[in-house]
Amino acid sequence: MKKRLQLVFVFFLLFGFSIDHDVYGQQAKITGKVTDGATGEAIPGASILVKGTVRGTVTDLDGKYTIDASPNDVLVITFIGYESKEELVGTRLEINTTLGMSIQALTEVVVVGYGTQEKKEITSSVTSVKAEDFNQGTVNDPRQLLQGKVAGLNIARPGGNPNGGFNMRLRGISSIGENAEPLVVIDGVIGGALSTVDPNDIESMDVLKDGSAAAIYGTRGSAGVILVTTKSGKAGRTTVEFNSSAAVENVARTISVMNAEEYKQIPNSRDLGGNTDWMDEVTNTGLSFINNLSLGGGNASTSYRISVNSRNVKGVGINSGFDQLNARINLTQRALKDKAIFTANISNTSIDRQFGNENSFRYAIISNPTVPVRDPNPQSPNFGGYYERDIFDWFNPVSIAEQNIADGRDSRLLASIRGEYNFTSKFRGAVFYASQRETDWRGSYSPKTAKFGGGFGRNGLATIENRERLNDLFETTLNYDETVGKVGMAFLAGYSYQEFFNQGNFTQAGNFLTDAFTYNNIGAALDFANGLATVSSFANTNRLVAFFGRANFNVEDTYLLSVSARYEGSTRFGANNKWGLFPAISAGVNLANLIDMPGVSAMKFRASYGRTGTQPGESYLSLLRFGRQGNFFYNGQFVPSFGPVSNANPDLAWETKDEYNVGLDFVILNNKLDGTIDYYTRVTSGMILPINVPVPPNLFPTTQLNIGEMSNSGLEVMLNYRAVQTSNFRWTTGVNFSTLKTNLRSLSSGDLSFGEVNYRSNFGSPGQNLTQLIRIQENGPLGQIWGPIQVGVSDNGSPIMKVINGTAKDANGNPVYCNCNDDRTQLGTAYPTLNMGFNNNISYKNWDLNFFFRGSFGHYLINSYRGFYENTESTTVQNWNIVNTKYFDPRISKAEYNSTHVEKADFVVLDNATLGYNFKIKPGSAVGRIRTFLSVQNPLMFTGYTGVDPEVRYGDSESGNDPLAPGIERRATYFTTTITTFGLNLSF
Amino acid sequence: MKKLINIRYFLIGLGISYFASSCVDLEEEVFSAVTADNFFKTDEEFISALGQAYSSLGGLGNHSGLWSINEIASDEIVVSHKGGDWFDGGVLLQLHQHEFQPDNPFLQNTWNFLFGGINTCNRLIFSFQQLDNPNSPAFIAELRALRALYYYWAMDAFGNVPIVTDFTSTEAPDTKTRKEVYDFILKELNEIIPLLPVAKDGTTYGRMTKWAALMIRMKLYLNAEVYTGTPQWALAAADASEIINSGRYSLSPSYKDNFAINNSGSSENIFVYPYDKVFAGGFNWVMMTLHIVSQSTFNLTQQPWNGYQTLEEFYNSYVDPEKNPGVQGPVWKGLALQPSTGTIDGRLSNFLVGPQTRADGTVLIDPGVEPTDPTGRNGDPNGPPLTFMPYLNEISPGGLRQAGARIAKYEFEMGGTNNMSNDFVIFRLSDVILSLAEARFRLGQTTEALALVNQIRARAGNLSPFTTLTEENLLAERGREMYVEMTRRQDLIRFKKYGSAWWPFAGMNRPKRVHSPGSFLELFPIPAPQILANPKLKQNPGYN
Repeated sequence: MKKRLQLVFVFFLLFGFSIDHDVYGQQAKITGKVTDGATGEAIPGASILVKGTVRGTVTDLDGKYTIDASPNDVLVITFIGYESKEELVGTRLEINTTLGMSIQALTEVVVVGYGTQEKKEITSSVTSVKAEDFNQGTVNDPRQLLQGKVAGLNIARPGGNPNGGFNMRLRGISSIGENAEPLVVIDGVIGGALSTVDPNDIESMDVLKDGSAAAIYGTRGSAGVILVTTKSGKAGRTTVEFNSSAAVENVARTISVMNAEEYKQIPNSRDLGGNTDWMDEVTNTGLSFINNLSLGGGNASTSYRISVNSRNVKGVGINSGFDQLNARINLTQRALKDKAIFTANISNTSIDRQFGNENSFRYAIISNPTVPVRDPNPQSPNFGGYYERDIFDWFNPVSIAEQNIADGRDSRLLASIRGEYNFTSKFRGAVFYASQRETDWRGSYSPKTAKFGGGFGRNGLATIENRERLNDLFETTLNYDETVGKVGMAFLAGYSYQEFFNQGNFTQAGNFLTDAFTYNNIGAALDFANGLATVSSFANTNRLVAFFGRANFNVEDTYLLSVSARYEGSTRFGANNKWGLFPAISAGVNLANLIDMPGVSAMKFRASYGRTGTQPGESYLSLLRFGRQGNFFYNGQFVPSFGPVSNANPDLAWETKDEYNVGLDFVILNNKLDGTIDYYTRVTSGMILPINVPVPPNLFPTTQLNIGEMSNSGLEVMLNYRAVQTSNFRWTTGVNFSTLKTNLRSLSSGDLSFGEVNYRSNFGSPGQNLTQLIRIQENGPLGQIWGPIQVGVSDNGSPIMKVINGTAKDANGNPVYCNCNDDRTQLGTAYPTLNMGFNNNISYKNWDLNFFFRGSFGHYLINSYRGFYENTESTTVQNWNIVNTKYFDPRISKAEYNSTHVEKADFVVLDNATLGYNFKIKPGSAVGRIRTFLSVQNPLMFTGYTGVDPEVRYGDSESGNDPLAPGIERRATYFTTTITTFGLNLSF
Repeated sequence: MKKLINIRYFLIGLGISYFASSCVDLEEEVFSAVTADNFFKTDEEFISALGQAYSSLGGLGNHSGLWSINEIASDEIVVSHKGGDWFDGGVLLQLHQHEFQPDNPFLQNTWNFLFGGINTCNRLIFSFQQLDNPNSPAFIAELRALRALYYYWAMDAFGNVPIVTDFTSTEAPDTKTRKEVYDFILKELNEIIPLLPVAKDGTTYGRMTKWAALMIRMKLYLNAEVYTGTPQWALAAADASEIINSGRYSLSPSYKDNFAINNSGSSENIFVYPYDKVFAGGFNWVMMTLHIVSQSTFNLTQQPWNGYQTLEEFYNSYVDPEKNPGVQGPVWKGLALQPSTGTIDGRLSNFLVGPQTRADGTVLIDPGVEPTDPTGRNGDPNGPPLTFMPYLNEISPGGLRQAGARIAKYEFEMGGTNNMSNDFVIFRLSDVILSLAEARFRLGQTTEALALVNQIRARAGNLSPFTTLTEENLLAERGREMYVEMTRRQDLIRFKKYGSAWWPFAGMNRPKRVHSPGSFLELFPIPAPQILANPKLKQNPGYN
């Protein structure tokens, strides 16, 4: 793979340099100067391009340029932050020109569902983030580019696992039963996988926040929509870009535990002779190398962009990291006198993963610091030379990470082709076909000597898993644009057909003669012969069919109206409810065009309503299904038996979300300050939840029903202030924040109910199973952290809990703590009430500096480490180390979850600080741009939280990311990291 | 250019063909799931469907269901809170302390197990009624017998439960009184007993027979006074006698044989659930009771959980020469510091006590032992070598990890997994004999009763016969013989001992709730989620 990659690079480099530059005749040498229209200062670095050709140059430090052009040529002069300008050469030999500052906040193109609009025309809540505003540094996941940039969009990846995914939540949570992640649309491909896109290839990401913007995506729009647009080639200059960076990653935060000396002071602790810093033993310095090469260009009829991206990442955990190779071709071809436009995008990604083992972190925290890593006197049983003890929940952390193998390979292919035909200048039609193929392979092996991972007990244990997901999309659209008098109109109609197919298989078997095969020869496992192997496979499919339309009306950019609807059906809906209608309406008025306000360029007030849906997360939920339920002993042998695993619900429908949004977009203070304020309120109803139904008469104790109602509301503010704008020094600062309020209005419908009050999640073993942590309450906020209040410590070292209701009595009739929900209460809330981002861009001459702070406030976390290990008893018996935070109370000897383990987790983090330097390039040299940068990610965090990562937890990582059980930091959280990146950007 | 036009036509053609074929088709296409549409087609599927009624019984042998609530609420079993371990939200303590809470998840599990089974029976009865298959009448009778068993368990544990027999009814059912449920089960059994198979062979192994159904009826009569207020000793005796006199069952020569890894040949077992580590997993006692390091004693593939323990007083009822006269020999008592002298009842094979070894016979060390304290009050009296001692220091929070005799009734397999292959005994002849003895005793026929009890004692091994029979020694003998066979809670209630304080419970924040015979605590509360799902259900008295 590596060799092939190098060849590809060489090929592209050669190809890039061999592009012919056209030669023209009758040319004269034109000179000129480009200045700022307002200040009269020279603009260095402005681009001068002969329109329709690839010939161009840039202005020097004095704003001057020289270019060869003929009289019929048009020069296009552009510079970031300014409106571009065109000059016809004619007979002139000197062309001096002035550029006016562009009001980007008004003219930038925003991608919306099935189209684009200028920002000034937008009437719903949409935030567009362009490549230049993306997060910098070592960014391996497109989601990271947006982190903290969009008010109301929260992106979190607790811990620093290189293979870990980011959780996204837009405007809090839109569904508690089904998918709460925004829908991703990549260049029109609905449900595109973000791993098909390299962060370097992204032009913009547009976030459709409110219901009216997302309604055109129907049953999948409730959690919001993120539209990803990849870079495409521009007609004109051929550009070759090469970006390379190397990064060093170090552990930033762990949890405080005792060192060997401290540990020995604990009465009855067991000194086993060693002195080990386990956190240090299970981590190393991570290293990443990222290389991107792209080639883009084109002429009047063809444009293309080709890129190759490679990423080699080693995480801080032992044996964790990935090697990724991505290649993409975006091609646009015009034909039939520009009436037909064909676009083809193809992207292929291959990722080889090494997962490491997060449990090595968990056990590093509790491993006795007096235990040596390796056993000086290896004994039977053989643990591969690692020091192990035969104690419950006691594993050598280094052995966990070094002995167990967990590998994977993800392959992604996304290909799309679009044909558009302009029947007239007003009427056009398009067909679009896209196909996405995703396969995930996983192989893991736990050797005979690995106490953790099953290898020891099973005499070697191998697992192989394959998953395949196919997504085929076919769409046709018709567009009609018309102007009647002052009213501009745009109409869209379309049809969409999308089919998904998933299949997979899983094989696990143990009992090998040798560890030599690892997972590569699973048939050698004796488990197959003795019947102890596990093999399974599955396949499922689903289909969505939709008709959609939209009409936009624009009266001189002053009065704006948009109406849209999607009528969509899904196979996942029950037989009685196959089709749903998702309408939206939004309107805006630009007051700046009506009232003369000094210094105000725009003041657009808008309001919208939209209905979106969430379809059931799995196929076949509406059907009565039978599943394998063990075997039946029939006439002396076992035969398989089947029983019901679900009840039929032919009425199963989508979840419905109705959302109202009012907003204000403004550009004031003579274009220095622009901003957006949104307030929304949304109600999700008919949430798809597994509801307890009486058994009998039902066959299965739960049925998937549309039940209950939830409301969210919040305020979102984004401000951008150009504080200083001179030719040498520019400083732009931006702040965004969002608030969130949730209420679970109802969890019932008639006699059926999810329960007025429910408790979720399980603290876990040892000893705290069936200890529920999160309360779900009808007519209460989501994410209530629940538990007993500790008021003291008993003589035997147990926490004394507060008697709240006093339902239980002791032998003398006095109320005592009852170990039941009567004596528990709300201890905190899992969701933040305020999220913010604070960005600064400073450039001075050739230097640029960017730093970005992000924070969340008002949320709490259950610190599981402390809940289990901040006590002395486990030291003496289990030989565990003690979590030693400021809360440690040596009197406590017994682990029992209570209020003291629930901590406020407000934080502010310096997400990224980047310092860049642009080298001066002599005009006319082959290289267009050389920039180097040094970037630090997560170097500073301000928080009072004592766990590993105060980041918001949107779901419970130990129960399939259950969205109803947020706010728990589990014990296997990957340590957070600080990444220092040195990089180089070159363009030709 | 021409090529591009072709592409355009191709795309448009593609679009049209999509439209024509399936543009708005939203039927679900099923591959790996089984739905009502694609099942019930062949004889094998037919049998497999019947099997589901039985495989529901697989929930008997694991943690947190019907077996757990019955045993933990009795004086046989406790799961003490050992240091940090086994607190689990206090659920297990509540059961042992008789502080039953409707939201206890074990109760919900039990309900789902029972009514899941009942529903499956109803569904299959309905299906077989619709199908014109020669096997249908026999299968229906069998399913009704099995349904009667589930109802008997439900009525015994929860008392007042709904009765549903019609699969097609979609109406939520309401609560019936314990008496109504009793009458319903009795009526069902009376109707089907003549229809059930009588053979005891491979075709009926693990299946409902006339004898299993008779045994359910015998148990109804035996507990009739508790269930209905009216005793039915004579009827209980008649059913017991019919089973015994059928001559199809006889006491195994050795008590242990009935619980061996391969116990399918037992002459004594009347109804079993056949477990198998490969084909029918779910029998997890090896995990539930053994100590973590016992993994090395039996070379198990997984670490056991160190949970279920025997109460010391119960264990002592075997070795106490006064209560259980017989041959004296070395036995483990109390702290198990050294062997003591006591009755070496052959049924001590029910327990794992004393020092444990690795599979190769060498000393087995527990590296996670508490600090050593020879009194066993604050630490382990035996030090690091793993020694199961009958002594239990306290229930919560500082239960010693090596305390309590462990449940070794079912033979553990060397190199076994978490799933045991022994078949789980639901009914066996000993119980019939002891029930007959009890019925005779209650009817005043003490001589016959004594002879029957001594028949059991003689088989147990190393025991002297009883010379007299009292309520006390009859209950104790039932206890020793039927240990962990899910009869103890019922026996204690019938003998009016269920509310007694049977262990001083040192170290607990609350002692066991002591109550008098007939207390509402003799029924478990209806699980809260069931009341929530079906408001027509009434909570049992005393739990509101």
